[in-house]
Amino acid sequence: MDKRFANIFGLTEEQSIALLDTPPEQAGDESERYVAASQLANYPSEASIDALIRAVNVTYDSLDNRIARRKSVESLGKLKATKGIDAIRGCLSDEDRYTVEAAVWAIGEIGTDNTEILEEITQLLAKPNQTYRVIIHTLVKLNYGAAVDRVRPFMDHENEPTASAAISTVCLFAQDFSQIDRVVSFLQSDNVDARRACLEDLINSRYYAAIPAIARCPISLMFRLRAVRTLAENGIASGNLTVEQVLPVIEQILLDHPKDLELVHEYDQPPALEFLIQELYHTDFGRTYLATKTFIDHPIDAAPEALFATYEAEAHNDYGAHYHVMKLMGWLHHQPAYDLLIDALDNTSPQFMKSRAGAALSLGELGDQRAIAPLQTSAQSKIWMLQYASLMALEKLGDYSQHKLLLDANDWAVKAKANQTVPMAANAHQA
Amino acid sequence: MKSVVTTVIAAADAAGRFPSTSDLESVQGSLQRAAARMEAAEKLSGNLDNVAKEAYDACIAKYPYLNNAGEANSTDTFKAKCMRDVKHYMRLISYSLIVGGTGPLDEWGIAGQREVYRALNLPTGPYVAALSFARNRGCAPRDMSAQALTEYNALVDYVINSLS
Repeated sequence: MDKRFANIFGLTEEQSIALLDTPPEQAGDESERYVAASQLANYPSEASIDALIRAVNVTYDSLDNRIARRKSVESLGKLKATKGIDAIRGCLSDEDRYTVEAAVWAIGEIGTDNTEILEEITQLLAKPNQTYRVIIHTLVKLNYGAAVDRVRPFMDHENEPTASAAISTVCLFAQDFSQIDRVVSFLQSDNVDARRACLEDLINSRYYAAIPAIARCPISLMFRLRAVRTLAENGIASGNLTVEQVLPVIEQILLDHPKDLELVHEYDQPPALEFLIQELYHTDFGRTYLATKTFIDHPIDAAPEALFATYEAEAHNDYGAHYHVMKLMGWLHHQPAYDLLIDALDNTSPQFMKSRAGAALSLGELGDQRAIAPLQTSAQSKIWMLQYASLMALEKLGDYSQHKLLLDANDWAVKAKANQTVPMAANAHQA
Repeated sequence: MKSVVTTVIAAADAAGRFPSTSDLESVQGSLQRAAARMEAAEKLSGNLDNVAKEAYDACIAKYPYLNNAGEANSTDTFKAKCMRDVKHYMRLISYSLIVGGTGPLDEWGIAGQREVYRALNLPTGPYVAALSFARNRGCAPRDMSAQALTEYNALVDYVINSLS
């Protein structure tokens, strides 16, 4: 489990239990019990599980109790607390759809082969206004093939993420992949949620043929890397894929040049610089990549200055725009950005992780030899994507010293990259 | 984009009938509240940076641990996440105030986000803490009229409920 945010509120287990046990009508602050329920997912103890079960059984009718209760269900799921399953099961008939959704998800995390519970979950498909996608995913996770005919009607659901989940589930349960291309086609939906959602379904279906299309999908590289790596790990283990097939795709995604993406938006008129800058802040990366591509294809002299200005004003604190500023400085080969890129390379705040890899690659684009030493350091970090991006940037700068040190890297992709490159570099040197 | 008007018309059209009296009453109710919603949208748009900043400042005051130097989750982490995302949701709240329904929030802010947060194990606590503050901070008539504040608070509650 990703632990980067494990103690974001700095609460101990005892403090969290005390807050959660506070009767909702007496809670000092409305969000405290919710935060406590969330925090207890990090403490896998009997005391923590018992406190969460007590919270699930508090049915006081208020928004704040509802969300604290729902979060308690989710935390029991994260803790895989079998002991909590009876309390969670009671939530399957709750009137609040999100409480039902959390209960279904938590049962999926805990795991069960109790057919009564599995049927109860399946029957939710017949109930209006439920989160069908989560229900369908959970039925897959619990391997309840008996549900397949009740999932089938959702293949034509108007909501694309729901249809995507249903199609991939029928593929898996009925071993009929004739419709999987519809899931692949959602990678080009103009709805960003559909684009992100279908990735999960392609992972679940282990549909390796989708890897090139995933690489070209206009969503954040973090989603694409996660999908390709998960598929690759399964595919390599089962003999359906080779590392040699996967590495170029990983590099293409890490490099993240908008020319390698199939964009789903377009401008109806040439945009002004100010507009393009603002587009970098969009939460739909389909739009940010279109702006980036426009910056590259139609260079504007004032662009670097505007990028520096927006960095100072807002982007230094916005983990989306921050990344795009770093990338653009590289694509525009803007030498005065060297110091900015070095700062980004060393920024250890977790939400700027992709900016570190982006800055490494942009330093490679600038071609400034001063970057070799800091990139050698970042190549030895513990973050695989930063290691990999640093190796790519060092290659651009003609340095292969770190590849030799990473022949036994912990990460399989970094290790394969190093092992693939070292003999090639040696041959080139001899020639 | 769903709104009270489009929902009523779509339902009537699906059944091949004229809008019923209750349909018209719900549209009329929405129109009567339109002035309050527009006022809230205008005040929110004009004050967005302050609202977002106050929300995260309040959270940091409440959880001073975040200020400790060298903590894995630095203050900047929290601030950046809160600031960016609270602004995003506030923008969608302003759209929803204008539409007179939760369509913009449902379609652009909530659908899919719950799954992403869960899949990537991202914390929703900061949103809830910050948005709860944003809701409680509003004051009539200092910030906006009582009716406008009711409209605004209902949508903030809607986001808190849907994201948590």
